Amino acid sequence: MTLWRLEWMRLARTKRWIALVGVYVFFGLLGPLTARYLREIVDFAGGDLEGATIQFPPPVPADGMAQFVSNAVQIGTLVAVVVAAGALAFDAIPEMGVFLRTRVSDVRTILVPRVVVTVIAVLGSFVLGGLAAWYETWALIGGLEAGDVVAGLLFGCLFLVFVIGLVAAVAARASSVLGTVMISIVVLLIMPIFGISEALGRWLPSHLGGALATIPAGTESFSDYLPATAVTVVTTVGLFFVALRFAASREL
Amino acid sequence: MIRTTDLAKRYGATDALRGVDLSVAAGSIYGLVGPNGAGKTTLLGILAGLRHPTSGSVQIDADPHRIAVLPDTPRFDAWLTGREVVGLAQRLTAGTEDRVEQVLADAGLTDAIDRPVGGYSRGMLQRLGLACTIVGEPTLVLLDEPASALDPLGRREVLDLIGRLKGTATVLFSSHILADVQEVCDTVGILDKGALAFQGTVEDLLVGQAVPRYRIRVRPPTDDVARALDRLDWVRAVEFDGTDELTVTVSSLADAETKLAGALAAAGARVVSMGPEAVSLERAFLEVTK
Repeated sequence: MTLWRLEWMRLARTKRWIALVGVYVFFGLLGPLTARYLREIVDFAGGDLEGATIQFPPPVPADGMAQFVSNAVQIGTLVAVVVAAGALAFDAIPEMGVFLRTRVSDVRTILVPRVVVTVIAVLGSFVLGGLAAWYETWALIGGLEAGDVVAGLLFGCLFLVFVIGLVAAVAARASSVLGTVMISIVVLLIMPIFGISEALGRWLPSHLGGALATIPAGTESFSDYLPATAVTVVTTVGLFFVALRFAASREL
Repeated sequence: MIRTTDLAKRYGATDALRGVDLSVAAGSIYGLVGPNGAGKTTLLGILAGLRHPTSGSVQIDADPHRIAVLPDTPRFDAWLTGREVVGLAQRLTAGTEDRVEQVLADAGLTDAIDRPVGGYSRGMLQRLGLACTIVGEPTLVLLDEPASALDPLGRREVLDLIGRLKGTATVLFSSHILADVQEVCDTVGILDKGALAFQGTVEDLLVGQAVPRYRIRVRPPTDDVARALDRLDWVRAVEFDGTDELTVTVSSLADAETKLAGALAAAGARVVSMGPEAVSLERAFLEVTK
């Protein structure tokens, strides 16, 4: 039994991988479906809105990815935060923290497997969901440029690594898993508020979350995301550094 | 093995530890006792590297990989089995997993070895924690209230396990249960309000710290005898509970041995029996901490 195996077992035995893969793949399959059949869904739900008529433009392939992103960025990120907090807040139960901390000489030995396994699980689930959305978009609406989708997935992955870095930094200070989740979500919710200003928003990590929708749609290009990418890379490295420093200096 | 010098720890305005000079000899089993809030867990936390002292120094003569720590209520991921928990503990300390079944058997957990620890009772978790502690063959073992959550049988097993460490490891354990300390420890430290009020062998504590007392049974009337003894300058106190027994606290055993019989005779006491009161660790502890 190693600390690496412990983390894979945490995902498997607590069924957290099902929550992660499930939410991303579910929205990956649901997004293009709702984009393709939105008109029929509204009609089925009673399309007569007191005389008003809703006109839907014919669906285009980018709508499939946009539907996936709108759900995955919110609910998928929430699930990712919860899963990450469960793994990274290892001092939340001090007796468990004592068990690990008194058996390693450097807290990195504990933290690195937890971060890496969480990143792999979250990113793997997101990519799987994105690929499902891409496939179903192709099947129901039409094809998308592979380069655009891959670029969108890469930017989305970078945003999720930032999210995990944020959770790691918060977990090293917070006293519970719930506290870690709440603080992380508040920070993630505050970012889009600053993003209302377009000039500021294009620099924020949260901007990357929409790349899988906007790049295939052609409303933004790869280079439009470079400012946010630079900020996100620097911030993420800083968050992991802070997480290590906080975790190393923490008293139990 | 362990030496602290003028160790202090403050939490805000509260002194958790004040000038603690702890000295634990290699190979000893050291019992750290003290009332709630005396600073025992803080002291163990500092020795384990889990807390930082405000001032003072700690010197531990042991390989950091061979120092094992057991908190008072050990907890583990509920979805791991006992075998996996101890296997992880051994992997992190010694690098192999060949002693897992042996230490789980020593801890009386063979039947539960492949069960998720989420279903373990509190006593089983305590024994599992102890198994994790000893699996890496540590040279220094720090135990925080290791038997506090256990039933009498579980306590017996834990004390036997600690006793078996004698000669292979230095053990420092805190406890509220003075009988446990008296049974397995050769050295005792009494922590009171963050300061080390006593440190030495159990014998030194029992002989040197407790004020000597005599128990005397006399034929009634007893109160005249009690009043006569209470007037003597070498008698500190006479406790008389209304029966035929007096408890006489004396300034020294020597005074009692040379003068008590004569004083009783002079008071006209009809003595049934008399003798020094056996000093318990509990009474010695109360004397030191009062």
